[in-house]
Amino acid sequence: MNTDIIIRAERLCYRYEDGTNALNGMDLSVRRGEKLAVMGANGSGKSTFFLCLNGVHRPFSGTVYLDGRPLDYSKKGLLALRRRIGIVFQDPDQQLFSADVFGEISFGPLNLGLDEEAARRRVEDVIRELNIAEFQDKPVHFLSGGQKKRVAIADILVMRPDVMILDEPTAALDPKHARLVDSIIDGLSENGMTVILSTHDVNRALSWADSVALFDNGKVLIKDTPEAVFQNEPLLRRASRETPAVIRLFGVLTEKELLPAGLPVPRSERQLEKYLREV
Amino acid sequence: MILIDKLAYSSRLRRKSPALKTVFSVSSLLLCVAARSLPVSVCILSVMSVLTVKAGGIPPRRYGKLMAVPLGFLILSTVAVVFHLSAEPSALFSLPLGARYLSADSASLLYGLRLVLTAFASISCLYFLSLTTPLTDIFAVLRRAHCPELILELMFLVYRFLFVLLETGSAIQTSQRCRLGNRDKRTALHAAGLLLAVLLQLAFSRSSGIYDAMESRCYDGRIRVLSRTCRATAGETAAAALLLALFAAAAGFGRFYGGAL
Repeated sequence: MNTDIIIRAERLCYRYEDGTNALNGMDLSVRRGEKLAVMGANGSGKSTFFLCLNGVHRPFSGTVYLDGRPLDYSKKGLLALRRRIGIVFQDPDQQLFSADVFGEISFGPLNLGLDEEAARRRVEDVIRELNIAEFQDKPVHFLSGGQKKRVAIADILVMRPDVMILDEPTAALDPKHARLVDSIIDGLSENGMTVILSTHDVNRALSWADSVALFDNGKVLIKDTPEAVFQNEPLLRRASRETPAVIRLFGVLTEKELLPAGLPVPRSERQLEKYLREV
Repeated sequence: MILIDKLAYSSRLRRKSPALKTVFSVSSLLLCVAARSLPVSVCILSVMSVLTVKAGGIPPRRYGKLMAVPLGFLILSTVAVVFHLSAEPSALFSLPLGARYLSADSASLLYGLRLVLTAFASISCLYFLSLTTPLTDIFAVLRRAHCPELILELMFLVYRFLFVLLETGSAIQTSQRCRLGNRDKRTALHAAGLLLAVLLQLAFSRSSGIYDAMESRCYDGRIRVLSRTCRATAGETAAAALLLALFAAAAGFGRFYGGAL
C-alpha cells in the first residue's frame, strides 16, 4: 500500500431516496498534500462524493479508504474521520447555523473536545488569520456573501483537518471576494494540508491544481495533471468543459512555430505572456 | 423584529456586560411592577429612556415610535379603569346615562395615571434590554443562568433560521411580483398560497442540509458554542446598583408620603 495516498475511493455507488444514481462506481485516489481540482457538470456527483468521504453518506457499494484503512462507520470512527476531513459547503446559509460569528466558529473546536480556553484561542487565531475581526461582531444575517464564505472557511480551518474539501467556494462571489477566497485557499496547502476543490473555473484549475479530476455521471473520466487533462479534448467535451484559452492559444502558437517547440505547457496567461516576450 | 435587532447591534451599550444589563433591566421591571407608584415609574421611565437613547445612541424618533406601539392598547384599557358607572354623579366628571352616571373621580384618575405610567416604565425596561443587547448575548446569559439546554438550542436555531426563511420568502415574493403574481386579489391569494407551500418544502430540505453540515463538524447532539465575554467593570456594576437603589428610594418615598402617590 502506497503510504503517500491519503484517500482512496474504490467503485463507490450511491443512490438518493428519489432514485437518482449520484455515484456509479467512482474510483479516485488523493495523495497527501495534493491540490486536487474536481470538475464536472452540476449533478455529476461532486457534492455526493464529498459527503461520502466524510461519512455523512454511506455508499451502497464500494469502499472509501483513509490512510489505507476502510472507513469505520461507528460513532467513534465517524467523529475521528470528520476531525480529519473538513468540508466547506457551497451555500454558507446551509453551513452557518449560529447568528453570532464567534459562536459559529467555536462550534467545531468544542466538538473536538477542546476545553474552552484552548477553543477560544483557536477561534481567535483563525479570526486573525482570515481577517474576520472587522465583522466578527455583526450577526451572520447582516453579512455579505463573501463575508459569510470566509466565516464558513474559518468554521472548518479552525478544526485543523488534514484534508480540506471546498465545494465551489467562489461560486456567486464578486471578483474581489473570489480573489480573497482564492488566496486563502492558496495558503492552505502551504501548510501541508491536502486540498480538494470543486470548481467550474478551468483557468483556476489549470493554474492552481497539482491534478484535475473530471467527473461525469457519477464516475471519474480522468484524473491527471492539469496539462494532460486540459489537452484531452474528447474527455473535456464529455464533461462539458472548455479547453482553457491559454492552452488553445499555446497549441496554435507552437503549431505555427511562433513559439519554439519543447516548451512546457503554460499554466497561466502570465506564463504564456512570458514565453511570447522571450521569443 | 429585524429593526429591533439592527438597533441592538448598533447600540453603543452593546459591548457592555449582557449579564449586568439583563439583571439591571429585569430587577427594575420587577421593582416597577411591585411598587406601582408614580415616583418609581417616573424615575424608571426617565432613566431607561435616557440610557437607551442618550447612552445607547438610538435615534430618539425611533425610540418614540417604538414606545408608541403599545399606546393604543394602553389608552383603551385605561379608559375602562378611569371611568365607571355609578348611581351618584361625581365631583370631577359625570355624564348622565339614563338613571346612572358615567363618572370619573380624582381617585380613579390617579389610579389610571399610575397604571399607564407603570406600564410605560415596564416597557421601557424591556426596550432597554432589547435595544442594547442582541439576542445572541441574551442566549449566553440564559446559558449561564442554567436555562434548559433543549430550549436554548431551539431558540438558537429558530433565531438564525427565521432570517434565512425571511430572506428566502422575500426573494420568492419578489420573483412572483416580477411575473405579475400580485396583479389582483385572486392571483395575490394564489401566489401567497404557493409561497407558503414552497417555504415549507424549503424548510425541510434546508433542515436536512444543515444537519449534514453540522454532522460534518462532529455534531454529537449538543450545540456548544462560545461567546465573546464582556465583563462588567466595577464602575458599571456600581452605577447599576446606584440606579436600582434610587428606584427603591423612590418607592420608599412614595409609600412614606401617603398612598396617594
